[in-house]
Amino acid sequence: MKKVHPAVVGAQPFQLAEHRPVERLFEDAEGRDRLEKSLSRYPEKKGALLPMLAYAQERNGWLSPEAMEEIAEALDLTPAYVRSVATFYTMYAKRPVGRYWIQVCTCISCHVNRGEEVFESFLEHTGTRAGEVSEDGRYTVIEAECLGACGFATVVQVNDRYFENVTPETVPEVLAQLEPGEPEA
Amino acid sequence: MSEPASETIRLTIDGVEVAVPKGTTVLKAAETAGIVVPHYCYHPGIPTRPAQCRMCLVEIEGQPKLQPSCVMTAGDGMNVVTQSEAAREARRSVIEFLLLNHPVDCPICDAAGQCMLQDYAYETGQLESRFQEAKLVLGRDRIADDILYFADRCILCTRCVRFMRDVAGDEALIVAQRGHKAYIDTFPGKDLDNEFRGNIVDVCPVGALVHEDFLFKARAWDMDSAPGVCPGCSNGCNIEIGAKENQVVRIKPRYNAEVNSYWMCDYGRKHLVMANRGARIDLPLIRRNGELEAVHWGEALTWLSERMPEGDGVAVVSPFESTESIAAFRALLARIGISGGGYRLARGDEAQLAGFPKLKLRAERAPNATAAELFGFREVESLPSIAAGATVIVAGDRLDDLPADFAGDAGFFAYLGSHLSEAARNADVILPITTFLEMEGTFINHEGRLQRFRQALVPPGVARPAWMVIRRLLSLLGDGADVLEAEAAFERAATETPGLAGIAWSAIGPKGVLVRTDGAAAPSAR
Amino acid sequence: MGFPHDHDLEIGTILSRHFGDPKARELDTWLTYGGYEGLKQAVEMDPGEITTIVKDSGLRGRGGAGFPTGLKWSFMPQEKSGPHYLCCNADESEPGAFKDREILRWVPHLLIEGCLIAARAIRAEHAYIYVRGEYFPFTSILNDAVVEAYEAGYIGRDILGSGWDCDLTVHIGAGAYIAGEETGLMSSLTGGRAEPKIKPPFPAQSGVFGKPTTVNNVETLAAVPMILINGADWYRQWGTEKSPGTKLWCCSGHLVRPGNYELELGVPLKDVIYDVCGGAPDGKKIKAVIPGGSSTAMLTADELDVPSTYEGLQEAGSSLGTASPIVLNEDTNIVRAMRRIADFYAHESCGQCVQCREGTSWVAKILKRIEDGDGRLSDLDTLYDLCEQLTGRTICVLADSVVFPLRSSLDKFRDEYEALIGGRA
Repeated sequence: MKKVHPAVVGAQPFQLAEHRPVERLFEDAEGRDRLEKSLSRYPEKKGALLPMLAYAQERNGWLSPEAMEEIAEALDLTPAYVRSVATFYTMYAKRPVGRYWIQVCTCISCHVNRGEEVFESFLEHTGTRAGEVSEDGRYTVIEAECLGACGFATVVQVNDRYFENVTPETVPEVLAQLEPGEPEA
Repeated sequence: MSEPASETIRLTIDGVEVAVPKGTTVLKAAETAGIVVPHYCYHPGIPTRPAQCRMCLVEIEGQPKLQPSCVMTAGDGMNVVTQSEAAREARRSVIEFLLLNHPVDCPICDAAGQCMLQDYAYETGQLESRFQEAKLVLGRDRIADDILYFADRCILCTRCVRFMRDVAGDEALIVAQRGHKAYIDTFPGKDLDNEFRGNIVDVCPVGALVHEDFLFKARAWDMDSAPGVCPGCSNGCNIEIGAKENQVVRIKPRYNAEVNSYWMCDYGRKHLVMANRGARIDLPLIRRNGELEAVHWGEALTWLSERMPEGDGVAVVSPFESTESIAAFRALLARIGISGGGYRLARGDEAQLAGFPKLKLRAERAPNATAAELFGFREVESLPSIAAGATVIVAGDRLDDLPADFAGDAGFFAYLGSHLSEAARNADVILPITTFLEMEGTFINHEGRLQRFRQALVPPGVARPAWMVIRRLLSLLGDGADVLEAEAAFERAATETPGLAGIAWSAIGPKGVLVRTDGAAAPSAR
Repeated sequence: MGFPHDHDLEIGTILSRHFGDPKARELDTWLTYGGYEGLKQAVEMDPGEITTIVKDSGLRGRGGAGFPTGLKWSFMPQEKSGPHYLCCNADESEPGAFKDREILRWVPHLLIEGCLIAARAIRAEHAYIYVRGEYFPFTSILNDAVVEAYEAGYIGRDILGSGWDCDLTVHIGAGAYIAGEETGLMSSLTGGRAEPKIKPPFPAQSGVFGKPTTVNNVETLAAVPMILINGADWYRQWGTEKSPGTKLWCCSGHLVRPGNYELELGVPLKDVIYDVCGGAPDGKKIKAVIPGGSSTAMLTADELDVPSTYEGLQEAGSSLGTASPIVLNEDTNIVRAMRRIADFYAHESCGQCVQCREGTSWVAKILKRIEDGDGRLSDLDTLYDLCEQLTGRTICVLADSVVFPLRSSLDKFRDEYEALIGGRA
């Protein structure tokens, strides 16, 4: 179990290539630890909602309706409320996504630096259409709004990693870096 | 609840000087001057005010931006202009925005004619849209087993969401997604099942939320509407009954600050829609040679007055009868010498509206047990078995749970009712009476609040209010004059119990009036 | 120095001195750089004294609005009747802005120290740093620094033996630009949709969890320790009377040397674009600059000789915003670029106010139609009218944000719109 300081427990990367899915989030020691530490940082239970939604995605790779219900129960909220919050934010995957969730910025600064071409190049090299999971379950490619690295356009976020100054031509290099030295699954 | 006398402030709204208590919003202050500021998200019964529809923006002298009048507190000396060029232009543009992706399917929309989008669009005179793009299509969804959501008509005022959260205390309805993709929804697989969910349809200012019982049933302008009092339980919620072709098609709560605020429960709605069901007794029937025979009123009442036995017997009244009918029935019993009398009262689960605790679906599922008590009737679990030769007289109780041989060997059995059950068929005389929908009258709710209801439907056949029938019978028996109007029926009743003494018909205002019930045990107390 | 490039304009040395130096992230090294000296002073000072120094320094909020920081702090109740909170806004999401991430990335302890000093000034017992969700790599760096600072006694109970307690929690968002709006951030931090709320109540009266709250930007808070150590006058040696100090610039778009530069406020914008960033690459001319992040009015290449101060850019009809110029070269299709900006705001509208929910996407759709060659001249009238309808009518200023670039593009590049429309009425 990863030890996490309570001050940063709600700020862990939650878009990861590797998942340790669980059916019930708060039934093992890690889940309970995350929940308790998060609750300790806010005067109201509801404050722990975003951290717990993030944790569900960190563990399971996406945010399932079952996870929303379990979080609702843990925080004394209604499942409907949890869904209302979860659907407001774009980073929570309400459907399973590929192991590598590739978000290509096409906002203004990336747009003028060939962002759309980079996006098309990712679709081409992964053999997918926008938003869909590739057949091998490896990739999902979407267009993203500003990722906050405008000076280094085009910017691509893959799970918890940033790739900067990406051009349509360097897309294969980015894809190659995703699984350095890993044996094929 | 009386508020401590508060400071009064003065402001000018559209040139009219208004004095309001300190803390009043500009929108409310305008209302006191008869100025309606158009609005969507604000609803007087919902405590939260997000000020998000931006429809109630008004100009306030000295403020650079238009201000939402629903949350802006009126200030002393403030000069508010609700009809300024800027304010009108802002409203016009809100309407234009709301109509961009709206399907404009008014011809098939249940809300047409009573739609705040339609009304304001008409007012701002926008006939053409500048929008040339493809409209977003979101479709429709079921959010409760009896409520549909037409997402394309929704203006996202969130009244429904906030009613559920802030009034019903059940955060089961939400805004999903965001921006122009936002819509109203529940958690998947968890439709609304709250007892007060029907109110979301009433608060919807447009036709986005529709009650399935009403779906495509009537155009607003084709309905007749009558103010009523819900008979579903002893709370006495004020309602508006919409009828078309003499059928109840829509029930909406009617505001009463002392009883139900702007709300009612779904049990009440369902109960009333069921009122359309079942075959009615529409002619008087008397038993001749063992067979029931239809006769006209004169013959039936003369026949009855000649045969009405004197002396004790079994009397049953329904707590669904009006106060005037119950009083008349008591007078009849007194005339023939029946002293007691009972009523049966169904009970069910209670449900309280968290945001307005006076509104409760009460266990006692009848509107007027208090009046029955006031006139000396007592609740009985079940009717006594009828001894051979006994006199039985029933007013209103449908007897539909009783065996077919009920009172089969009674000496005399008179039945005043609206529906002919197997047990009622054993009566020697059957008199068709109206239900509360077909008459004017009063109910007295659980706390002793006397409230008037008006006639919503035409009675079937020759059915008449029980009080009219009974007072006529009494006059045939030599006891008083005929009574032909509800007002007279009430005033006669008021002379017959100390509880109603001194209450004038005209004094029963829109909030009703509290009567003295100390003579009667409240049914809920037992 | 600038990051990632050197340049030779006179610069400040407050925020970026250690950019590019990974050792600066570590507490041991940071202490040798003078880290936490400001906090040591602050814990011995009265909250009011700290606020006065920051007020005197003229430091203005670096999140875009430029509100005087010390004044904002002074709105907090002087007498406590319950908890106070500090929120550090690290939800950097304005297209063009990428300065806060560099602070998180290179000098996390500077930010932590700034948060603690501000918390002390506003009598808060808990500071939250709200970082945008996407910034995982930089959040991780911040997280490590926070844990280190906790363990060394700079955060938590009895800070530096002063008897003063203050917690700090890192909280991350999950993809919503509007969470960077002050009240939207508070909604989000408390576990809600990041929907802005109508004021009043103001955050200093009722903010997160209904308690008095101050929200400050990362760059603002990072400037605080040096101001406290060196004093208000020291800070005022840079910049102008109304815009003192230094500012981290985020330069992007068509530039030879895009990136972050810490520059004195008041440097002419054209110097930032041409001297610091090298102008447009490949010998191209510059067509337009959006000087303060995507929500500010476009300037043409001829309008760049303005002092880069809050007041200077306002006079030029635009805004300093987050000092994030986006440079568009002569080949840029202005309509298309504007459509991209409108798409962003339509995507990020929270959907509460009707004008913003419906209007931002309408603007984007009209621009797309013009871009695709199906526009009409009447569309330009509609767009101008929408500029009116989207201004000043909503709870927050997201709708206004699309108007600034839109109106300026219509005013200054009408010929480009008309060329695409081709005379259709």
